[in-house]
Amino acid sequence: MSLNKITKQISGTEKEAENNGRISIFSRFKLTTELTLLVIIVFIFIVMTVVTPNFMTIYNIGNLFKQASVIGIISIAATLVIISGGIDLSVGSLAGLVAMLVSVMISGNYMAKPILPAILITTVAGIVIGIYHGFIIHEIKLPPFIATLGSMIILRGIVKWISQARTIANLPESFTTFAKLSLFNSIPSLVLVWLAAILIIHIVLTRTTFGRNIYVIGSSQEVARLSGIRMRLNIYGIYILAAFLCTIAGILMTSRLSSAIPTGGSGYELTAIASAVIGGASLSGAQGSVIGTMMGTILMVMIVNAGVHLSINPFIMEIVQGALLTVAVVIDMLRQRRS
Amino acid sequence: MNGPRKEFVRVVQVSKRFPGVQALDNVDMVVHKGEVHGLVGENGSGKSTLIKILMGVHQKDSGKIYINGKEVNFKSPLEAQKKGLSAVYQEVMIVPELSVGENFFLGKLPLNRLGFVDWDKVYKESQKTIRDLGLEIDPRRKISNLSFGDRTMIMIAKVVREKANLVIFDEPTSYLTIEETDTLFNLIRLLRDKGLGVIYISHRLEEIFKICDTVSVLRDGQMVGTNPLPDVDENRIVSMMVGRPIDEMYNIRRAEPGEVLLEVKNLTRDPDFRNLSFYLRRGEVLGFYGLIGSGRTEIMRIIFGVEKPDSGEVIIKGKPMKFAHPYQAMAQGIGLVPEDRRFQGLAMSLTVRHNINISSYGEITNLGFIRRKDELSRTEKLVDALNIYTPSIEQLVNNLSGGNQQKVVIAKWFAKNVDVLIMDEPTTGVDVGAKVEIYRFIEGLIQQGKAVIIVSSYLPEVMGLADRILVMAEGDFMGEVRREDADEELLLSMACKVTLNSAAH
Repeated sequence: MSLNKITKQISGTEKEAENNGRISIFSRFKLTTELTLLVIIVFIFIVMTVVTPNFMTIYNIGNLFKQASVIGIISIAATLVIISGGIDLSVGSLAGLVAMLVSVMISGNYMAKPILPAILITTVAGIVIGIYHGFIIHEIKLPPFIATLGSMIILRGIVKWISQARTIANLPESFTTFAKLSLFNSIPSLVLVWLAAILIIHIVLTRTTFGRNIYVIGSSQEVARLSGIRMRLNIYGIYILAAFLCTIAGILMTSRLSSAIPTGGSGYELTAIASAVIGGASLSGAQGSVIGTMMGTILMVMIVNAGVHLSINPFIMEIVQGALLTVAVVIDMLRQRRS
Repeated sequence: MNGPRKEFVRVVQVSKRFPGVQALDNVDMVVHKGEVHGLVGENGSGKSTLIKILMGVHQKDSGKIYINGKEVNFKSPLEAQKKGLSAVYQEVMIVPELSVGENFFLGKLPLNRLGFVDWDKVYKESQKTIRDLGLEIDPRRKISNLSFGDRTMIMIAKVVREKANLVIFDEPTSYLTIEETDTLFNLIRLLRDKGLGVIYISHRLEEIFKICDTVSVLRDGQMVGTNPLPDVDENRIVSMMVGRPIDEMYNIRRAEPGEVLLEVKNLTRDPDFRNLSFYLRRGEVLGFYGLIGSGRTEIMRIIFGVEKPDSGEVIIKGKPMKFAHPYQAMAQGIGLVPEDRRFQGLAMSLTVRHNINISSYGEITNLGFIRRKDELSRTEKLVDALNIYTPSIEQLVNNLSGGNQQKVVIAKWFAKNVDVLIMDEPTTGVDVGAKVEIYRFIEGLIQQGKAVIIVSSYLPEVMGLADRILVMAEGDFMGEVRREDADEELLLSMACKVTLNSAAH
């Protein structure tokens, strides 16, 4: 009899036992990704309140969160795709396209169509783009990075083409007032939509089969397939849901700005990915949460806002944002190594 | 090794506890100078803990360690090294970007009169060290350009240079070729003859018999026994490791075969396999035996819908099936424990809970929402039933041992309650204890009227478990052998396409 088959397995009870301590720190660390962010955010809040008179005003805080809402919803879209092990670089361009489409349709200077059908049509357009991503990634097997990089450029081109690189204004008042509404005179409507998106997607990720499948796919597509997960359904689902969220963000953005600009949403993809990664999402998939991403978004937007109030050169703030992203990715790598 | 051997290391009543597990329980062990001392035990038996305590990586909770009769208490690996203790782990002490010679002189490169590094001296002395060990490696070569085998030899040479008295090898042959293993063994014998003590840890018992003078067996943190070789045989050592007689391992209770669950007719996929037909009844264990490349794995992947056949039929419970995706096969009650659990069976970065439920979330949802309570209770139940050793169901499967990982894969299909479970090399990289448990699961399945296909290239396993064994060779179906007619020679000759007189079954 030979025991050749009993091949090497370093890990065993004792190794697990040793890991025990480390793992519990690690899982606590995961929990504190969100907590740490909260502490940093509160810290900046306090410092800014003390240092500048105009930071802690209803107007500024409202404005800050309104700004964060649009990018926050786009960041949730980015998070979904990142958890599935992919990446979506087209989120900003898609929001920009939606903004432009809806503006062209309802603007008094252009088609002057009713609002609801216009929103409906744009939503369908957004979903079609999600289906296209599902198709080109699942059927054609293009890497998500390349597929969505292409879309990012294509969609931006379409935006500039249909607008002839002009700003589209003169939108109906009933459309633009939405962004000015608030609950109890304090919580802006945009923030409410953002919170709703956070809640719904959080529940989808943690409580539904679809959400659980996204993590498995992010861990390994082969494992997901061999575990009987329907890949086509899920991959399409992920990209459609992401596109749908971007559509909502694009419509909100238009309502807030009372116009659509050809560069609307450009650069958002990077802020969105940065928000997700800062919030604990891993670019190698299977890790990330909506709550973390929300914190990441608040941090990214708040830093810019704080810079304005401290009269720091906006170019320097760009450097700070970039550094923040770098640090976040370094942390992501350290996290990988730890696990 | 003859004559009065001088005692070198003595471990007395050493205990070590980690949270949730007694890793070592009053362990005694003595290593002599000029002795190769084998240390065996299943994963989790405490081998690594014992070595790490010896090397000062971990601190013991109680007990004593003597070196040359003097009590020692190492607080760090450095202290242990100063006393001449060295462990040859995989690639730890060498810098791959530097040359062999530089590695030998790491941190203490000799200088010439001008204050520059004296490379002549470095390489001349290195050359001598290497030659003295009967090796042929150019000291100017970079470590990263060496084979795994040569790297291991260089590590040993370095240890010898640094005047180690005790060298510990932990699974040193895992990455070595047969020739390299022979070179390593010669080297180990050389160390022994020089009067060094050697501790040799391996799963491969034939290596233990080849190289060791004494063997100690650990089980569940306790020293089961120390025997000089060849006073004990392999079976004895395995039963010491497992804690029960060896021939009981494959003894599973048979079930009365019921109706046909799965039938395969003329299944072909060139060039993997051709014209394969077989059936599987409830309560049966069907074995697939063949050498690597015989087409076994491809057959299973087609039955499970991972790949498509060129022609032929798969019939389940009387209905012909055309599977294009695994989820369709799964819906018909088929499960697959794949060959490679790390890349095919488990989402390594997710938890035990998540992995166990991957395939069956659909069964515990209301309108798509998972019922958390059901998920938790069913997971706890399976972790208990399959004896999965994990601190919590929220543990990442990546942190489990091979055996426990494999049990999670099996638990996934238990949760799905499949009728036919296909297991492709289910005990690869699994320790003996978990192996026995996996055999019990197979027994449990057939007792419930389910059916199992087991693909294995390990003869005792197929012969012991399967009611019928189908033998494949290079994609051809060589024949079916019944359990009572099976013997190693017959199966092996069929698998190698050798004609024996008795192969006419």
